[in-house]
Amino acid sequence: MLKNKDDIHAIAPEVVLDFLQKTLPFNELETEHLKELARKCIIDFFPKGTVIFRQDETKVDKFYMIQKGGVKSYLKDDEGEVTLKDFRGEGEYFGALPLIQETNANLNIETVEDTFCFIFTKKAFLGLLQTYPRVTHYFLRSMSEKLVRTAYAELRQHKVTVRSESALYLFSAQVGDIIKGTLRTITENDSVQNAAILMARFHIGSLLVKGTNGTISGIVTDKDLRTKVVAAGLAYQTPVREIMVSPVMSIESHAVCFDALIRMMKQRIHHLAIEKQGEIRGVITTHDIMVLQGTSPLYLFREILAQRRIEGLYKLSKNVPMVIRTLIEEGAKANNITRMITVLNDHILDRMLTLLIEELGQPPVKFCWMLMGSEGRREQTFKTDQDNAIIYEEPNNPEQLPEVEEYFKTLGEKAIEHLVGCGYPRCLGNIMASNPQWRLSEKGWHQAFDKWMQTPDPKEVMHSTIFFDFRGGFGNSELVRTLRNHLTETAPKHEIFLLHLGRHCLSTRPPLSFFKTFIVEKNGEHKNTLDLKKSGLTPFVDFARIMSLKYGVRETNTLGRLQLLAEENHISQDLYSETIEAYEFLMQLRLVHQLDMMDQNKSPDNHINPADLSDIEKQPLKESFEVIRRLQSVLSQEFRLNS
Amino acid sequence: MGFWPFSGGKTRQSHPVFARNHSYFENIDQNRPLSEYNFVVFDTELTGLKQRRNEIVSIGAVKIRNLHIMAGETFQTLVRPHNITEATEGTFIHRITPQELVSAPRLKNVLPEFIDFCGPSLLIGHYISLDVGFVNNAAKKIFNDKITNPCIDTMRLAQVYTETYWQQFHDHYNSHVSYNLGDLSKLFALPVFPEHDALLDALQTAYLFLFLTKKLGQHGLVTLNDLFRAGQNLKKYF
Repeated sequence: MLKNKDDIHAIAPEVVLDFLQKTLPFNELETEHLKELARKCIIDFFPKGTVIFRQDETKVDKFYMIQKGGVKSYLKDDEGEVTLKDFRGEGEYFGALPLIQETNANLNIETVEDTFCFIFTKKAFLGLLQTYPRVTHYFLRSMSEKLVRTAYAELRQHKVTVRSESALYLFSAQVGDIIKGTLRTITENDSVQNAAILMARFHIGSLLVKGTNGTISGIVTDKDLRTKVVAAGLAYQTPVREIMVSPVMSIESHAVCFDALIRMMKQRIHHLAIEKQGEIRGVITTHDIMVLQGTSPLYLFREILAQRRIEGLYKLSKNVPMVIRTLIEEGAKANNITRMITVLNDHILDRMLTLLIEELGQPPVKFCWMLMGSEGRREQTFKTDQDNAIIYEEPNNPEQLPEVEEYFKTLGEKAIEHLVGCGYPRCLGNIMASNPQWRLSEKGWHQAFDKWMQTPDPKEVMHSTIFFDFRGGFGNSELVRTLRNHLTETAPKHEIFLLHLGRHCLSTRPPLSFFKTFIVEKNGEHKNTLDLKKSGLTPFVDFARIMSLKYGVRETNTLGRLQLLAEENHISQDLYSETIEAYEFLMQLRLVHQLDMMDQNKSPDNHINPADLSDIEKQPLKESFEVIRRLQSVLSQEFRLNS
Repeated sequence: MGFWPFSGGKTRQSHPVFARNHSYFENIDQNRPLSEYNFVVFDTELTGLKQRRNEIVSIGAVKIRNLHIMAGETFQTLVRPHNITEATEGTFIHRITPQELVSAPRLKNVLPEFIDFCGPSLLIGHYISLDVGFVNNAAKKIFNDKITNPCIDTMRLAQVYTETYWQQFHDHYNSHVSYNLGDLSKLFALPVFPEHDALLDALQTAYLFLFLTKKLGQHGLVTLNDLFRAGQNLKKYF
């Protein structure tokens, strides 16, 4: 410790410095800056039960870091209902968001223990942000993550809107990553008519203009064609050179979209060339950025429907997670979110197949693209594997069969490729329309289901379950409806088959040990994690499916199935409400986890680490697993199975 | 303690800082809320505990304004005692070696600076009569003067608090509280710092003060006068 006289009045207290050095994001700062910050530190004490922030009332002028103790944050809505958001403990902070956004407190903050805080004034905090943009980024980023992470605490009450942080995407996505399509150019001596023809052909709103020396000399947009050619009555043979805007405004490809947007707004232009190592690589428009920001599902719908090229869908489908993020932040329930994902995916599929059929010509017979598994149940999350198949009408003339098969072979294979292009991974079990085994005629499908039910082989039962969740995705829905009718009539009679299904349901134990602590995977890649899908969600899905088959429920969506089962008194009201609550919680937990992983550039999976969960998250998780136990005991009574 | 023998006779150099110090506290209003006063929490490390023989070897202090600890407004210095040839009993406590003290400033330079740092603040310390005693003993010897800041003893406050607290919880077994700074800090679950560094001890005392006043504030102790009355034995040095 320094004890020189020179340091009098200017000592950064070691305790504050030590603390900052161990705390994100301050540990990244240089010691000199940390010392300066530590000198500005104010220490305050708040006895347990002190309300530090009052939502909407407190004018926040300080940034608080918890040195010792803890606080809870909660929202109170107009009716006085309280939603607990989270607990923050030592090393965590509050007040950053209102300081940055210059708003009153967005939450209530109350100490749950005697709490000591290190406090920095607004001036000190904002000064730090100015010196260290990285720190700003950290706070904005972690705040948005925190919002997402705590979103599912709102399962039951989500009347209070959470401030959306989606605008942050503007700050992280680089313009180079959002360039659509290839670079389209026209030479400057070419005619404006040819420019219009090219733009119409490629469905684009601008062309870059190449000078005689081969470099980009300007840009011509559809607006130029309207205002400078048509409205001004110029000849269509006018060279592009005369109407182009030159030089073309450009931005480095690694700039973030926000900077591009600012530049366009300042210059009042809608097109910006993207430059990489001195070379123009493409053009982005204000429109591209708005789409990227993608906060409105409606906007994405319109984009999907307007898409004229299948490859254009590839880019659009990548916006689905961003639309979903907004919904999660706004507190939507998991059920609504998965339905939204389903609708968006259905639209993409619809558009893709429509365009593909335009390309291949009309099918020789009626057909329907069937969706199975989670797609069939309308419970997709992010990038669920493909599970699809084709059912087609029996051709009147058997000689026509090879032609029919050939057509659907091409359709199936091409469609799967396009779906992969859109970011839907292939099904590992090869349950896809590209597999001839799953392109069957109506009769073929009826027989397939009959076979599964009449001669149930335990192993096959397990693999066939996802087929029972089929629904029509595109094409003639009558074919699928007939198949469903057949299944609803026959399934209840196949008791042995149902028995096998029931046994299968009981084979997975909820991941709670006798002492109600979580059982996590002990080995392998997912060490210390819990497979939320396998041990959490699947038992609910299986339960709803088997009960629906037994009682002839046609619905495929799990919540829909449960509702119908409850309405017809096949399950009790109590069990029903418990079950949907638990199932929705697990779905939400999974969604949030997957979104979190995608934010970290990881491929979304279903493995969560219980240690990462806060207590308010652990409790409902445990309760959800308890519900699985109840479902299993209902099943063992229903099918007289001894578990 | 409370009276400081004036050893008359020798004329000593006076210092203007004392006149300022006295003027601050002539008419102090005790009825304002605590948050309106400025405080300096301070601690000294000594060569030993005997006032006649032992000397101050370091001073650490931190300011409290609006009942907030101002972590950057601190005072910290070593002091060169007259006799530094060998290790004293204090050396083993604060671990300041005689070598470190050789280059340290003398108290006659440090003291005015410290008094200046305190300005019109009230003083806070843990068993503060000892620290103020040493300061005024030295002030007397060097400047033939003394400081008159009203003082608050966190040890006494802690007694007031534990008595209030224990009254509320009759069945409390812990009637033998150690009023040592470190023990109290642990008892009240405060952040705990390494002991026997003057600045860290001052900071620790500041935490204790904040804790006690805010807790007692919940029991209606709001003004400086409330605080003085609560600890009847609180001594003021004039």
